[in-house]
Amino acid sequence: MNRDSDDPITLTVIQAGLSAAADEMFSMLRKTAMSPIIYEVLDVGTGITDGQGNLVGSGAGIPTFVGVLDKAVQRIIALHEGSVIAEGDMFITNDPNFGGVTHLNDIVIAMPVFAAGKRIAWTACIAHWSDIGGMTPGSMSTKASELAQEGLRLPAVHLFRAGRPVNSLFDVICANSRLPDFARGDLWSQIAACRRAAERVRQLADSYGPGTFGRAVSALFSAGEARSLKGLGELTPGRWEISVEQDSGDLWSAAITVTPQSFEVDLRNNPEQKASPYNTSRDGAVISAQMIFKALTDPQRFANAGSFRPLRVETRPGSVFHAEEPAPHGYYFETRIRLFDMLWRCLADAFPQRLPAGHFGSICGTVIAGRHPDSGRAYTMVEPQMGGWGATAARAGLDAMYSTSHGETYNCPVEICEARYGIDVGWKRLSDRPRGKALHPGGRGLSTCYRPRHAAILAAGFSCGKHPVWGTAGGAEGGHNSLTVIRLNGDREIHNFVSDCPVGPGDEIVIETANGGGWGPAGRETGQIAT
Amino acid sequence: MGQTVIRAATDVGGTFTDLVCFEIDSETGQSHVRTAKSSTTPPDYEQGVLDVLSRGDVDLAAVGFLAHGTTVVINALTERKGVKVGLIATEGFRDTLEIARGNRPDFFNLHYVKPKPFVPRYLRRELPGRISYLGQETARLDLDPLPGILDDFRADGVEAVAICFLHSYANSSHEEAAEAEVRRLWPEIPVVSSHSIAREWREYERTNTTVLSAYVQPAAERYLHRLRDGLSARGFRGQPYVMQSNCGIDSLESAARVPITMIESGPSSGIWAAAELGRLIGDTNVIALDIGGTTAKCALIENGNVRIVTDYWIERDRKSAGYPVMVPVVDLVEIGNGGGSIAWVDEFGKLHVGPHSAGAVPGPASYGKGGTDATTTDANLWLGRINKDYFCGGETEADMGAAGKAIAEVGAKLGVGADEAARGIVRIANNNMVNALKLVSLNRGFDPREFTMVAFGGGGGMHSVALAQELGVSKLVIPADASVFSAWGMIMSDLRRDYISTHLMELSEAAAADIENALAATEKTAKAQFGAEGVSPERLAFQRFGKFRYQNQEHTTEIELEGGPVVPAGIDAIRERFQAAYEREYTYRLNAPVEMVGIHVTATAEVGRVQMKRREATRSDGAAAVKGVRAVDYALDGVHEATIYEGPRLAPGMEFSGPAIIEDPGSTVVVHPGNAVRIDGYGNIIIEIRN
Repeated sequence: MNRDSDDPITLTVIQAGLSAAADEMFSMLRKTAMSPIIYEVLDVGTGITDGQGNLVGSGAGIPTFVGVLDKAVQRIIALHEGSVIAEGDMFITNDPNFGGVTHLNDIVIAMPVFAAGKRIAWTACIAHWSDIGGMTPGSMSTKASELAQEGLRLPAVHLFRAGRPVNSLFDVICANSRLPDFARGDLWSQIAACRRAAERVRQLADSYGPGTFGRAVSALFSAGEARSLKGLGELTPGRWEISVEQDSGDLWSAAITVTPQSFEVDLRNNPEQKASPYNTSRDGAVISAQMIFKALTDPQRFANAGSFRPLRVETRPGSVFHAEEPAPHGYYFETRIRLFDMLWRCLADAFPQRLPAGHFGSICGTVIAGRHPDSGRAYTMVEPQMGGWGATAARAGLDAMYSTSHGETYNCPVEICEARYGIDVGWKRLSDRPRGKALHPGGRGLSTCYRPRHAAILAAGFSCGKHPVWGTAGGAEGGHNSLTVIRLNGDREIHNFVSDCPVGPGDEIVIETANGGGWGPAGRETGQIAT
Repeated sequence: MGQTVIRAATDVGGTFTDLVCFEIDSETGQSHVRTAKSSTTPPDYEQGVLDVLSRGDVDLAAVGFLAHGTTVVINALTERKGVKVGLIATEGFRDTLEIARGNRPDFFNLHYVKPKPFVPRYLRRELPGRISYLGQETARLDLDPLPGILDDFRADGVEAVAICFLHSYANSSHEEAAEAEVRRLWPEIPVVSSHSIAREWREYERTNTTVLSAYVQPAAERYLHRLRDGLSARGFRGQPYVMQSNCGIDSLESAARVPITMIESGPSSGIWAAAELGRLIGDTNVIALDIGGTTAKCALIENGNVRIVTDYWIERDRKSAGYPVMVPVVDLVEIGNGGGSIAWVDEFGKLHVGPHSAGAVPGPASYGKGGTDATTTDANLWLGRINKDYFCGGETEADMGAAGKAIAEVGAKLGVGADEAARGIVRIANNNMVNALKLVSLNRGFDPREFTMVAFGGGGGMHSVALAQELGVSKLVIPADASVFSAWGMIMSDLRRDYISTHLMELSEAAAADIENALAATEKTAKAQFGAEGVSPERLAFQRFGKFRYQNQEHTTEIELEGGPVVPAGIDAIRERFQAAYEREYTYRLNAPVEMVGIHVTATAEVGRVQMKRREATRSDGAAAVKGVRAVDYALDGVHEATIYEGPRLAPGMEFSGPAIIEDPGSTVVVHPGNAVRIDGYGNIIIEIRN
């Protein structure tokens, strides 16, 4: 077959093959994982990078994981380049200080791909494991004051060497998890996904030659950059500043400067890192900036290293957005979504026609761990909650969606929750809380009631508990997120961030998520009940 | 000459209603095919069917078998032309339908639009009463509010009622009681309960399926009954059958009760035809590829079996979560790539083909009906792959000027000439299809090199050689009468029902009896259902499957449970079969407990399928069918002088090799250089690809 090596059609075919490989990695992970948070919540990311760790493409999943894997791979390369990175090697990391980006629960597996003796790519995936040890079941303790309390640290080390598993490491990992069967199952699921994609990438490079393969990748970067620059060119240049008080009482701030060629986010003026699990690594803060940058310039799924070339993020080492050893990171995702929410709010004020009003603004992560009342088997339910989304210039907000940090995230069906965990669900319905007045009202939050049938331990992290969801252009605020434990004796405990909270038969856990923010001043009553 | 058996299939499409009538000599097996076409007649679709039967001059009194396929259900859904539905749900869960699953495939987009539920909130009502996941009643069903709910529904103009309660897959008694009460209080209203459609867990999927079924039911039922009456008034004495989405047919009465099962009947008959053809020619491992005007569909047939799944969705893509339909549908991958797919260059200079289609109007630019977009068909024409002097079987004059202009515009955006742009369009279209074919084969652990490809539909022959080459497939079959292939699949179908239900249990020796009981009970239900419709138990054949996974996983792998009843001694073998299938698809196995999540029983009954007879094959070189020579651009394989063969003049035993083109009135087969072609005893075109 005479292949015209560099024509644009061949490059497009290679690019489609790369995208299919990332999607296949995602599909395989979803089908084989053990932890519900992987196969259902899809707290998962899959990606392919070039030989140096520049993001080429990602599979489905969630937007906050699109920009994680390149950073992990780059760190692995930096740590191991001096020695050897060989064919058949595979690396593992979960430590934000070693390329892990997020928190210890998120395990990154990365595999270099070689063609004609040259490292041409990496396949990598990240997935949230239900338990990686530490102070509390589910590993996310609100009481952790240093990283070591949050579980096993895997500092970007070899999981395979030249195709052979480092068995002792497998044993260490499984021994450190409260759910060793899940750990082993999830680990193999990730390994298989990386290998499958690596095989596809290698076939592409073999079929078309490493040179053409490399040019297809470079062309993707250029396309990504061109898309972003086009979007930037449509924005009015300017500089905007914002300060927002958080539920903790801390004052956060940001300055965003938009020019036709660049998008700069300055986060230096922010509080010191904390001895509590609400810090994020610098990489995590960069991801928040990437998300608002994408939403504003080119909200397509298409994203690679080129897409983010115009973006610059300034952070201050030692701050909450650039935490260093020994800061804990368990609830990094709340810090990151709150940061995203602040950047979004800053730009919604600047571009009210382009961005919706605020959404419920929190992952509302809810963890219940215990033993199944019928089977006696240990379980850990790890679930984000759905809430109301903000209205736009054109319409009301969406009812009951997962947060902007999520994407192909599916809620756990009530029928499966009751069977899998032995936790009854009393109700799950759209919130009846009033939505406030606005030209376009925010979407409705969700009201859910869990009734444990057996003793269990609850942990949760709900932001927007004190400060409500923001409206835009004069629209009403959207309300608060709350979690209430109603005891058998009628006592009510309201929580925002809690761990190690015992619950049992007769108790009710009632979750109310916020409605979204309204858009525009109320000229008329639009909050009808019927839709 | 023996007796003539007449078997007819009608198919209601969006624009046309088609008839294919096979007259088969019972002795020689020789069949004569007649076709006819008439306009589809919404909303009285039965009229179009009766029209096409009279246009085809079919003596209904002599017809022994009549099968019917229809796109009425899928069209009613996508065009939102169903009725107003009221939903009754478990107390606390009326919003399940609207909450849906919360996912957002277009995940960077803050302006995502969530699919709107088919029942608005004010028509979603609740009744107290709970069943546990084990099927035990934990709260009594309270029907007291029902009269008030139905009064409201009447006042609001509700035309069908859907009922879906939590855990009804495990115990349907509450749904049955509520349904009976609705029928008692409001006998005229159509009522659909979830347990009569789906016996699997996942309340959103089950609720949505029930709602969609209710939404299309009144119209579908009315039309099927009028069709039945119209047929019998015209002398038809048999039982009309309706094509389902599971590659089988069902009685008209059963289809009228649960019309949602017809949702993918069109693709399913084509895929079944490929399976039947494979059986006929001795190739039971088949990749079926159906390339039509707007989409291409493919499915894998392993060992003669199609895979049936219940996770079908409509309107789901990279931009939208879509709507689930939890009914047995043949497991296929469908992409927006057909002859009419539009080629376009995005603002960053990248060429795409599809998913938008030029449709029937205006159609490809070369139709000369005012279309200005270049389509795959235009590119094939431009490259000489389609004969410009024999366009659409000579019925239409190809507007080469319009085609050239449209393709040149694509080329200008890419910075290349028309020829290169046309080659690019064909290559991108082919690549889209290769990726779809990989999804059903490689991605599930099947090596396409071990499969025979059967390609059909208007564009099947045009692209399949290139696709087979890319995938390493060595044998490609283009069926004898490609244009009526799907209809042939319909008349070769068995009466078939798939019973899929959730039963969670550990795979252990101790559980063998429970597994066997669940299977046997399902078979008993099937016998009773078929028996009530006059199909005796001896005529039924059963296939049993279990859905297994490692404990704690979610996704399951379906394994056939062969070799008689499930007994404790057979459990290890089942576990091993699961592990082997799992390893094939996912490359590893675990030392972990295995559990069964559900069962799947298929019940089939032959309704007198046709025995096809092989014709005498006389070896010849095909010269008798040659109609000329022309230059054809094979894209990556270069430009070659190809011999042009006339399809209708090909005879069994002819052998020749590429570069060649075979022209039929309805389709074109592009044979690449080096391919060896043989016409088999059934008239099929067998292409051997030397990779």
